[in-house]
Amino acid sequence: MSETPILWIVTLAAIALTLWRSRRYIVALAQAPGASRFDQPWRRLEGVAVAIGLHRKMLRKPLSGILHALIFISFFVLFTVTIEAFGSRLFPGFSLAPIGGDSWIALLQDLFAVLMLLGLGLAVYQRYVLKPARFSGSSGSDAAIIYVLILLIVSSLLIEAGARIVGGADGSWRPVASLVADLLRAFSVPTHPTERIAYWIHIGAILAFLVYIPGSKHRHMFLAAPNIYFRNLEPVGMAPAVPSERGSPGVTSLAQFDWKQTLDLLSCTECGRCQAVCPAYASGLPLSPKMLITDLRDALTNDAAAPLVGGVIAEETLWACTTCRACMEACPVEIEHLPKIIDMRRHLVDEGHVSPMLQDALSNLTRLGNSMGKPSKMRARWTKELGFPVKDARSEPVDVLWFVGDYASYDPRVQDVTRKVAELFTSAGVDFGILFDAERNSGNDVRRVGEEGLFETLAQSNIDAIRACSFNRIVTTDPHSLNALKNDYRHFGGEFEVLHYTALLAELVAAGRLDIAPAGGALVTYHDPCYLGRYNGGFDAPRDLIRAAGYTLHDMPRCRENSFCCGAGGGRIWQGDDGVKERPSENRIREALGLGVGMFVVACPKDKVMYTAATDALGVAGQLKVVDVAELISLREAPAAEGYDRVDGGAING
Amino acid sequence: MKILVVLRMIPDSAGELELTSDGRGIDREWLDFQLNDFDDHALEEAILLKEAVGATVVAVAIGEGSNRVLQMAVARGADEAVALEAEGDGIIESRAIASSIVALARSKAADLVLCGVQSTEDLFGQLVPYAGTLLGWPHVSGSSRLGIEGSALRVTQERGGGIAATYEIALPAVIGVQTASKAPRYVSGSKLREASKTAIGKAPSEPAGFERSAEIVALRLPGQRGTGENLGDNPENVAERLASILAAKGFAGV
Ligand code: SF4
Ligand code: SF4
Repeated sequence: MSETPILWIVTLAAIALTLWRSRRYIVALAQAPGASRFDQPWRRLEGVAVAIGLHRKMLRKPLSGILHALIFISFFVLFTVTIEAFGSRLFPGFSLAPIGGDSWIALLQDLFAVLMLLGLGLAVYQRYVLKPARFSGSSGSDAAIIYVLILLIVSSLLIEAGARIVGGADGSWRPVASLVADLLRAFSVPTHPTERIAYWIHIGAILAFLVYIPGSKHRHMFLAAPNIYFRNLEPVGMAPAVPSERGSPGVTSLAQFDWKQTLDLLSCTECGRCQAVCPAYASGLPLSPKMLITDLRDALTNDAAAPLVGGVIAEETLWACTTCRACMEACPVEIEHLPKIIDMRRHLVDEGHVSPMLQDALSNLTRLGNSMGKPSKMRARWTKELGFPVKDARSEPVDVLWFVGDYASYDPRVQDVTRKVAELFTSAGVDFGILFDAERNSGNDVRRVGEEGLFETLAQSNIDAIRACSFNRIVTTDPHSLNALKNDYRHFGGEFEVLHYTALLAELVAAGRLDIAPAGGALVTYHDPCYLGRYNGGFDAPRDLIRAAGYTLHDMPRCRENSFCCGAGGGRIWQGDDGVKERPSENRIREALGLGVGMFVVACPKDKVMYTAATDALGVAGQLKVVDVAELISLREAPAAEGYDRVDGGAING
Repeated sequence: MKILVVLRMIPDSAGELELTSDGRGIDREWLDFQLNDFDDHALEEAILLKEAVGATVVAVAIGEGSNRVLQMAVARGADEAVALEAEGDGIIESRAIASSIVALARSKAADLVLCGVQSTEDLFGQLVPYAGTLLGWPHVSGSSRLGIEGSALRVTQERGGGIAATYEIALPAVIGVQTASKAPRYVSGSKLREASKTAIGKAPSEPAGFERSAEIVALRLPGQRGTGENLGDNPENVAERLASILAAKGFAGV
């Protein structure tokens, strides 16, 4: 029998089998609720080009990035071999020869076969010799199988070409295959059978791979590009609203996730980059963003899967997340972990499944608008010790409306910093006021804890209070408030110009409105708060301030978008430390200790609390002072209320 | 079965308490009010009973902020919400409110009245005996678990030394709840928002059913006796002062 019908039969059978093996995924995608991800096609395409064409995120890990790029490019070049192999037999007479199949294309194929093997070698070296921890929990057999198949595909194509050269074909464009031909001659291998066997091994390996793909992480070969194309283009700080067609706030079954959330599950490459940067995972809590995705994915095709929330994904897993967004920032295929975590938390909250500590915090927030259980009337208490009155923005117009936030207002460990910020504003002549007892918690973490209803209540109350004031811009102390006011409040039509206090201070410094007495250039390091940096791009203002204050900045290895969370976000500050082996804040302090700096500069009230506690717990408070960036700035002519002398050699306030 | 549960609003002790000018009451003008904790447990126990054996729960609230707490009660599972008008805005006296509760228990045909075993304004837990007496129903205080056995109510009461006594009482009855069988549940903001649409009924206050037998002649704020030392509110100073006091008294080596 001729080879053509045989090849037709096996090829069609393989395609049918592949579709059959994909059927559950196709059905899941087709039945999933809608998501609007079809806008801005050019911006979407551009993102795909950068992510795939330039391997932007992939190259953040140089070895992985390079080996993946080698395999990826070689795959496209060698695909011409596949086209020729199938084309020539399926449609007798088909050949790439007229466009250079025997000349330049042949040369490229030969070279990229070697590059493919090089990439493969590096991959094997990485996985079996270097063994990065991020692979723990990923499927080992998926990786091993693709290594073997690539090896088969590449070696069979070289042997086939070599055998053809032995049989008299022109080898001048095929330097590598010519070497193989020499080898074949040396062993006097019969040419025609060898060529045919190599051909069928090639075909067999490719079809086997095709059939294998649907059940493996190699799906990403087809799905990575669409998943990146349909990525979220909304501001990253805006948590997705509850879709109006959903009856209750949360998600209780996989079928309630929209098609993009489902596509995410199918696109995961199990590369573990998310796991490697996750503070919850690092602290020993039962959350790996990678396993979260793969567990959800596996449940998609498992009829016997346990209930979604509390079964497939344990409650402790959901509560472990600090919503730091490091996983999403690291993911090369733009998988969105947080919307899934928040949606499942929404279900837990709606059912009242919350820990006693979280219940207390949420009940306090419901009753009093702050998590500490303090009366609203005490919110502006910190202003009493200022040497000057603070304007009530509710009763007189101001230029800047200062949204102070819970920790900066109530926590005695932070109030000094709040007062220092007020003094700096005053000294620079900023016309500012606050909301006094009309301010409520911004709801940023309330929302991320999954308490959507309470978030709405808090947000509405703040928006009403803010709208009743006359002002030009809003400034916040807390990066968490910054994020809620700037991004989340858009759901309620609250579009305000919101700045972080570091941005306003940097602006004042640049305008020469603060008369700073620079310090002597002591070395300090700086921690990027997740909700200022990764969420809102506020990387430079705090750094500019540190320099303007006369200090030398020595960044930590994990800085800017790779900053490591303090562990307090997303409501973690309202949860216990059960199961934590190493607190993220202590992990971070250890990182800073290695730099030989005297100060650890922060720009978030919660960071001041978290890191002061961490240096105390590690017994290094004498070595490394935790200082807010505002405390670094000392003015030549201090304003009326004294007490904030320059921070020298780490000693604060004398 | 119909359960009437009593919810009393008390001054939030986290706020700053100030006395009225005559020194016989707390100045309520600037105070925040919150639900009496034991009443919160009574509500939870009522809902748990409803879930276990089926019942209709009528929540009755007294004091400032009643509406908010009644919405919360509905969100947690109460079927009906009634705000009881209070005489004046002073302390919620059990002697004075007992007859209003009793009138409601009769008009709603309740089989069981639950309230917290005590409140900061009724430290001796007199609401239960007052209401029980006026209704002529049996009453028990200090329950830590309620259950229905046939047509009778089983009431578990924690005694000292870890001993628990269980009573069986015929309904109708009045029970003072110390703790619910399970901690009060969290009710989400979305359920609260939903419940905020519920209509809240009103009930007039009835004349007190008992003669006044004693008067408050003076109230005193804590820390006015001169034997304590106020450590201030700067945490660092507080910690330092505390450490030195402990060291001076020989409790800790510094
Ligand atoms: S948001 Fe942060 S804590 Fe949560 S899963 Fe991602 S990396 Fe981990
Ligand atoms: S979710 Fe993204 S980063 Fe994490 S393993 Fe999957 S592909 Fe990699």
